[in-house]
Formats: sequence, structure tokens, C-alpha cells
Amino acid sequence: MSAPVLEIADLDIFAPGADGPRQLVFGSSLAVQRGEARGLVGESGSGKTLTVRAVAGLLPEGFTTSGSVRVDGRDLGDMSAGALRELRARRIGMVFQTPRAHLNPLRTIGDFMTEAMIHVAGDKRSVAYARSLELLDEVGIDDPGRRMRQHPSELSGGLLQRVMIAATLAMDPDILLADEITTALDVTTQEEVMAVIADLRAHRDLALLFITHDLALAGAVCDRVDVMQHGRIVETLTAATMRRDAKDDYTRLLMAASLDEAPPIRAEHVAAEPIVKIEELRKTYAVRSAGGARETLVAVDGVSMRLDPGGSLGIVGESGSGKSTTARVLLGLERADSGSVMVAGQDWGVPARGGRERRARAKIAQMVFQDPYQSLDRRQSIRQCLAEAIRVHRPAAGRDAIAARIRELMGHVRLDEALLDVRPRALSGGQRQRVAIARALAAEPMLLILDEAVSALDVTTRVEILTLLDGIRRDTGVALLMITHDLTVIRRLCDHVVVMRQGVIEERGTAAEILDSPQADYTKILLDSIPREGWAPRRRRLGRTQAMPAVTRSTIVPR
Amino acid sequence: MSIAQIAQGAVPAVARRAAKHDWLSLAALTVLAVIAVLALFGTVLAPYDPYELYTGPVNGVAGAAHLFGTDDLGRDIFSRALVGAQASVFAPVVVVVLSTVFGVTLALTGAWFGGWVSGVIARIVDLIFAIPGLVVAVLAVALFGKGLMAPVVALSIAYIPVVARLSQTAAARELGKPYMAALRVQGVSSAAICFRHLVPALVPIVAAQMAIGFGYAMLDLAAISFLGLGQQPPAPDWGSMIAAGQAGIIAGAPEQSVFPAILVVVTVLAVGIVGAKVTAWAEEKDR
Repeated sequence: MSAPVLEIADLDIFAPGADGPRQLVFGSSLAVQRGEARGLVGESGSGKTLTVRAVAGLLPEGFTTSGSVRVDGRDLGDMSAGALRELRARRIGMVFQTPRAHLNPLRTIGDFMTEAMIHVAGDKRSVAYARSLELLDEVGIDDPGRRMRQHPSELSGGLLQRVMIAATLAMDPDILLADEITTALDVTTQEEVMAVIADLRAHRDLALLFITHDLALAGAVCDRVDVMQHGRIVETLTAATMRRDAKDDYTRLLMAASLDEAPPIRAEHVAAEPIVKIEELRKTYAVRSAGGARETLVAVDGVSMRLDPGGSLGIVGESGSGKSTTARVLLGLERADSGSVMVAGQDWGVPARGGRERRARAKIAQMVFQDPYQSLDRRQSIRQCLAEAIRVHRPAAGRDAIAARIRELMGHVRLDEALLDVRPRALSGGQRQRVAIARALAAEPMLLILDEAVSALDVTTRVEILTLLDGIRRDTGVALLMITHDLTVIRRLCDHVVVMRQGVIEERGTAAEILDSPQADYTKILLDSIPREGWAPRRRRLGRTQAMPAVTRSTIVPR
Repeated sequence: MSIAQIAQGAVPAVARRAAKHDWLSLAALTVLAVIAVLALFGTVLAPYDPYELYTGPVNGVAGAAHLFGTDDLGRDIFSRALVGAQASVFAPVVVVVLSTVFGVTLALTGAWFGGWVSGVIARIVDLIFAIPGLVVAVLAVALFGKGLMAPVVALSIAYIPVVARLSQTAAARELGKPYMAALRVQGVSSAAICFRHLVPALVPIVAAQMAIGFGYAMLDLAAISFLGLGQQPPAPDWGSMIAAGQAGIIAGAPEQSVFPAILVVVTVLAVGIVGAKVTAWAEEKDR
């Protein structure tokens, strides 16, 4: 075999700091052979993205590096700026996590596809157009001619990611740098994108550096996998045998985290009256289509479910399935079109009128939101945040009583009291989510709704939070309504599961039934899409290649 | 007006760059404090009676006896500038405070209730926006007579749309954030959400707008005085002094226009720098 396509040797990366440079990546070395797929796995802050950005020349301003990066045996450090740009344009292709953020919303897909060919390679417009059609076809996009005329907002996330991949292929790169390219996608879409990449690798002699936080996914699609932690590559494994060979504690932790299937202990609750009883719920949004015509988007259609006090129900579905809308209606953040919502024997069909009713409902049901970075007021310290939540329900409580309650809540979520006077930005994602949980528990609710509460977190943090929630459920007897797209989360925490797709319920049953013997085709596909040992991505049917209408997130307008 | 517009456009960019340096914002703050003191005690501090004619030569050169020289009637320009500071500095402050209070109130109402309420407010704001501030001010003077009161009230109204639109957009965006939904689910009262969470979030943008608005107001009021519609002679005011000095410039005695003009520019710039600093500080808290 000839020289590796990409060789990174002893790469150190330093961030500029007030008191001198701070080292973030420590002597990372890896080589990607021609046609090889290499995985680089680590959690947020591990330095995996910095490493790949150093290769692409995309480090933030002020960052410095030492060590060498070689492409085809040529050291990037020895090359002139012009040669470097040429090399990066032609030999390296890079795809990012958020395709939508990397596309100009005002330009069509065609403009985007042909731009590099016309301006970098100097092709004629007609040649570039024809080539773009070929490339879009190669990544499995139907009717590429129509897509070329569309704008990014008209395409789903999965399609956009394929467009990005197609565009990087325009220059016939030797290596594709893929940075968390499927993280923002649904599992089934992830599988399709990975299938496209697998096809490309089979047809072209394309090397791949695949950056992900998902060890199971990397193991399934790569030949070799490097595990990174705190800026160091701790272990390099052959994908096929990684489960046997892994020696490093951290690698084992990651594996356990992504594949843990320990069933939680639970007691059978037999209650006369369910805490949540939703019947024939329907919610539509009036939207405008691209042409300006009025359209009705059905977000939730005839959904019924029930949850017993102290029980736990999981609502599983992909984006646009209506699972979050159901929760928002339940909490009075949206108004249902029809159907009934009963919580603790009260009719919650319409949003609370006035502060008193809202406080009364807050005492019963609380919610933990998906993104802890956005669900806390960034201007409040943790103490202020918790004090506010406590005062809502105990307006007469004295300073000492509130301080005691804050300590108690911090204990519940296992957070150090030293963190009380910092603001959210000083906390990690896991710590913030703990604060959000503490805040929800301040009301001593009977029902806790978790809207994708762990999906924004790292895998190891996710396990911690799920364990914490399990503990809280056992200690306080709070009922859980868990909304997630991740079936592996369900097994840890839920008794019953409802699978939703495009606003309707596809299947319901106990967690064990759904996970071990799914009946509905859609549930089977969902389960099949989860990367695991021996998994190979396949292209699916069931209309998934069509852009699914995503639920427009309306701004909540308080009344 | 072209000079006024150039100065207006330049303030934010210059000020934003300047606010990065602490010594500069400190200097700006000092300048503002000095100007405020001078404006407050101008009548006491003035070495001459601002109305007294022929205290020195006509169009006298700046010197020890007359710090800024004397004007075409031999009045002491320094004394006139000091006394005129009151009208020139405090009138824009009143304009900014009034327009901010009303603008932010409208914005919060619109963003909070949404729907038709927000639509009605938007139309009212559009209506005010359609008429240039200076024209409204001139019209007000024509209706209510010359003096400072009419243009101040007119400009306060004329500036409402800018404040209202800016803060309504910011408020609506803030209300759409998940933490606002989280607060509602917690059962926090609407008043607390509005004043404890929403209003502080608007501070950076409103502070920045106030600083820019001050510059605009000062220049607009100076322009109105320049047109002879604001402060009436012989009462001094920076704008009318600049206007009265036109003949002097041609005659080779620019003092009468130049010194008040410098004061206008320095004040507007200093407010801009301090405003940018306040914004930067509030944004720092925001992250």
C-alpha cells in the first residue's frame, strides 16, 4: 500500500487564553490509508472536532498547532497558502453536522452544487450542471433536476446532508472528513446517509475520517476506530473486534453507555384513576406552503394514551411525529383542536387561564426540556433559578426555608452546592440538565415530563442522568412521561411505550413487547436503524426518502 | 442635514470600537460628567452675561479674555455655550427617555399578547414611522409656537417606532426561547416573567438604542434650532449658535459656529461610547 492519504503525527492544538495558550489536543497521531474508513470517537470537548478542523484549516482564530499533518505525504506546514487552498479544495472534502447552517438559504441547491466547479475548477456552466445531476444521483437523490431548482428550506435534513456530500464529491476528493454528520438526524435518516456513504466508498476509492460521539455507529461503519478523551487518543481498535479488544476504561465506559440494556426495577402500579388520560387528541397548524397557499398541517391526529400515577410512559418517534406537540398541549403551551386531556382528574384541554390556574397545574406537572443550554435563563445564577421555582409554590417561605429547600434539591440531583452561585454558562450540559431537573422537582410534582431530556447530552452523561431520574422516580413516586427519539433510552426507564409517526400512534405496549417483539413495520425499522455490532446501513422504504413535513415550531405566545 | 446624518451613522461603529478600550469609555464618561455639570451650573459658571452685547470686539478671536472668542454682536461665545448647554443636552435626554418608555411599553404589549394586538400596534408604529421626525417637529412648532417644548414632544413621538420595532423583535425572539416556556410550566406569574426575565434580556439592545437615539435627538434638535424653530434668540442653544455663525464663517471668523459644533460632536460621541460600553457589559451578563 502506498503512503496514507492522511497522516496526522503528534498534533498538538493550543487555544489562545488570557494567561498564555491552553493545550486542547495532546500529540494526536493517526493515519488514514487509501480507501480506509477511520472513526474518531469522543464526547464533547474531547478534541475530535479540533483535530479534523486542523486538517481542513478551519481552526478558530488564534489557535496554534504543532506537529505535522500530511496529505499524500506532503506536509501542510511546508506548503504555500495557494497550494494549500488548492489541496484543500481538491483533495479533501468536508461535511458538517448542520448542513442547513452551511448553505446559503437564498441560493438554490443548483447554485451551491455548481459554484465550486465553475469558480474553482473553471468548468463551463452546462458541464457543471450535468455533473451536479450525476453527483446528486450518485448520493441517491430522486429527481435531481427538480432538487437543483429548490432552496435549502424546501429539503429535509437528511436530503440536505446528502447534497453536502454530493457537493464535496465534485472535486473527486481522496478523503472525506465527516464531522458528526448524522448527529442531528433521525435514526432512520442516519441509516440512509450512512448507506449512501457506504455505497460511495464501494464505488470510489474514497477514504473516510468519521467523527462521531457514537461508538457503536463508528464501529459499524469504520474499519478502525480511535477513541479520544480529554484531547488524547486513548485507544485505537479494529472495528470488527473492538468489543473484545477494548482495554481502556473509557472505551469500555462508552461501550457500556451506548449499549446498556439493564432493565430497571419497577413495581406494578394498579390505580383506579390515571394521572394522565388523553383521548382522541388532535392538533393542527395553519401553515403557508412555499407557493403562499394556506395549508393545514396535522401535527397530532387522534392520539389517545394513559399514564398511571407513579408509572412511566415513553412516547417514541422521529422529528415530525407529533410527540413534542402532544406534551406541549398537555402542559397548556399549545391549545388542542379537539379531544380531551385529563390530568389528575382535571380537564386540561385548554391552556391555563390566569396565574392561579397555572400555578395549580405547575404543582401537578413539570417538564424538563431538551436543551439545557436554552431552558435556563442565562442571566440567573443557579440559586436564583431554584429560589424562583420554590417561591412560586411557597410565596410566604422565609429566606432560611428556601435556602434549606435549595440544598435539599441540589442533594436530590447530586450537584455540589459550590455551583449555586454560578450562572448556567459555567456548567456542563449534564450539570445544567440536573439544575433543570431540580427546578422541576421544586414543585414536588406528581408528573414529570421529559422532552428529549437526554438527547443533547454526551453518552456517559446520558447514563448518569437516566440513572438519576430512575432514582428520583423510586424515591418520590413521580410519574414519568418520557418523550424521545431514542429507543435505547426507553428500556432503562419506561414501563409502557407508545410509538408515534406523523401524528398517529403506530404501536403501543409494554417496553419489553415493543423492544423485543415489535409488531408494526415502523417500529421494526426504528429498531433496525440503531447501530450495533454487525450492523450495516441499508436504504429503506416506507416513504422515508420523501421530505417529511416537519412540524413548524411556532413561538409560544403567552396569553 | 448631511453632516448630521454622517455623524449619526458614524457613531455606533466608532463607539463600538472605542468601547473595547476601557480608558476610552472612562474618558467618555468623564467628558459626559463634565458636560452634565456645565449644563447644570452653566448660568453660574458663565464668566459673562450671555445676553450682554459688546463684551469684547465683534467676531473677536479666541483668547484669555474670551475663551471661545466673541460673536457678531460681541457676546462671549463661551458663556453662551455654557448657558445653552442646558437646552442642548437635557432636551435630547428627555426625548430619549420618553421615546424609550413608550416604545418599550408598546413593544412588550405587542410581543406579549401577539395576535391582533401586535398587529394593531405594528400598524400604529408604521403610521408614525411613515412621517419623518424632523417634519413632525417642524409641524409641531407651526402648531404650538416656537420654543423647545413642541419639538421635544414631537421628536419623542417620532422616535417611538424605532425603539418599539427593535424591542418588539427582540422581545418576541426572547419569548420564543425554551426557558420562557420552562418558566410558564413552573407556574411563574406573568408579571415576574415579564419584569424579571424579559425586560433584563432587552437591556443591551435598548441601551444601545438609547445611546444612538441621544445622538439623533441632539442633532435633530440642533437642526431645528438651526432652522430657527427651536430655542428662540437671544436665548442661546448650540444649534442656533451654529446657525447664527454662518455669516461669520464666510467673514473669516468661524468661532461662533465651530465651538458649539465641536461640543455637539464631542457629546454625541461620548454618549455613543458610553452606550456601547453599557451594551457590551449587558451582553457579557447575557452569555
